[in-house]
Amino acid sequence: MPRKPQLICPAGSLPALKAAVDRGADAVYVGFKNATNARNFAGLNFTDQQLTDGIAYAHRHGREVLIAINTYAQAGRVAEWRQSVDRAAEIGADAVILADFGLLDYAFHTHPSLRRHLSVQGSATNFAAINMAHECFGVSRAVLPRVLTLPQVEYVIKNTPVEIEVFGFGSLCVMAEGRCILSSYATGQSPNTHGVCSPAGSVRWETDGAQMKTRLNDILIDQFEDGEPAGYPTLCKGRFAVEGDTYYALEEPTSLNTLSILPELLKIGVAAIKVEGRQRSPAYTAEVTGTLRAALDAAGDAHYSVKPAWQDALTKVSEGHQQTLGAYSRPWR
Amino acid sequence: MNIPQPVVAVLSRLPEAPPTLALVTALNLVRRRLWPEEDFAWLTGRRVRMAISDLACGVTFSFDGQHFVLASQPADVVFSASLADYWIIARRQEDPDTLFFQRRLTISGDTELGLQLKNLMDATDFEPLLAFLPDPLRSRLAI
Repeated sequence: MPRKPQLICPAGSLPALKAAVDRGADAVYVGFKNATNARNFAGLNFTDQQLTDGIAYAHRHGREVLIAINTYAQAGRVAEWRQSVDRAAEIGADAVILADFGLLDYAFHTHPSLRRHLSVQGSATNFAAINMAHECFGVSRAVLPRVLTLPQVEYVIKNTPVEIEVFGFGSLCVMAEGRCILSSYATGQSPNTHGVCSPAGSVRWETDGAQMKTRLNDILIDQFEDGEPAGYPTLCKGRFAVEGDTYYALEEPTSLNTLSILPELLKIGVAAIKVEGRQRSPAYTAEVTGTLRAALDAAGDAHYSVKPAWQDALTKVSEGHQQTLGAYSRPWR
Repeated sequence: MNIPQPVVAVLSRLPEAPPTLALVTALNLVRRRLWPEEDFAWLTGRRVRMAISDLACGVTFSFDGQHFVLASQPADVVFSASLADYWIIARRQEDPDTLFFQRRLTISGDTELGLQLKNLMDATDFEPLLAFLPDPLRSRLAI
């Protein structure tokens, strides 16, 4: 029987970290309160004291804490990114999740005993890129961008000594991870440079009766009628007028949900399954962690089937009108 | 949870100062215990309104650099949700993003200020408060 993948859950605060540990995460991933991680939101993330407490809590329960330092070091400010790696090492993180090759090189030479994971933001979608990160920077795990089919994920796994982590649940985006500068057209900032797709300072929601308008730096990007589900205020999920038709021209708000293919993910040998959502609250972390824990524990069973209660729990917290297997399922290929 | 229309009619006519005073007094009491590292510089001089949509009323407060204080409208940021949904959020039974997606929670005005407040609440460990409560109440409120 294949080894059960680790369940990697998101935490933007200490209560969320504790909820993840309590509900069965094998590892929790977190970030510092600065632009070195891709969820640099006002008031989110950990102070050094909170992180010290969180790591102690996780370790006491035999779980791991991974620190995401996965944005790209900006010219003239490289020291901030390096200091974050130093802090992660000092504070006792089990691994750092990095994307920037310069930073990977720094971590490899300065803290060789601190495990290095290649972030999804590193945008490595083939085994040659992953093996290079392994050979050059001793990367022991890579998080795959959400653009590969299941057979492609399997092909990567068969051709690399590096552990492969894939996304199992959470909001989807246009998945140009590590290369997306879409929001900078509206705000001058992008996830890879400032750690945030739509900086909150640029977001305005206007309610007019039952209608809600979303503006990003004053640009109207979406408008929701009464009762229509809302999505995150990102440009990729906006509705645009294209040749006389107004619709989700890039992408409709959607969530990835892999409950139905967990047995296949186990079979092809993924090392870890990741949940998106460090920006969400402890209630989300608890709900999703508990659900995926139960599903993963059952996924090795020959009679595995998705329980309606799991599906309901994940549907409730999902962004958008629908859930999808994303790129994993491409029967038309 | 639906609040009967006559109750709404009465509540919406009551002055907002008494409940707001109760809120800011409570916040001032628990501030150092719950948020020992927080200086609230980001809230100083800014006004937050929590509108209760099904009661057509709400509370508006601010921080004067030392204490939480009553404030008047217009606020810099306005949250709006039903009383039941505020309770659900406070108990950490649902996350605010979920209620936002479902259009049960709205935020208007300064989104960054609102997000800062939401994330502070998420990061708050309420254990130090619960320790003061008698056991039966503590287990009912434990989050």
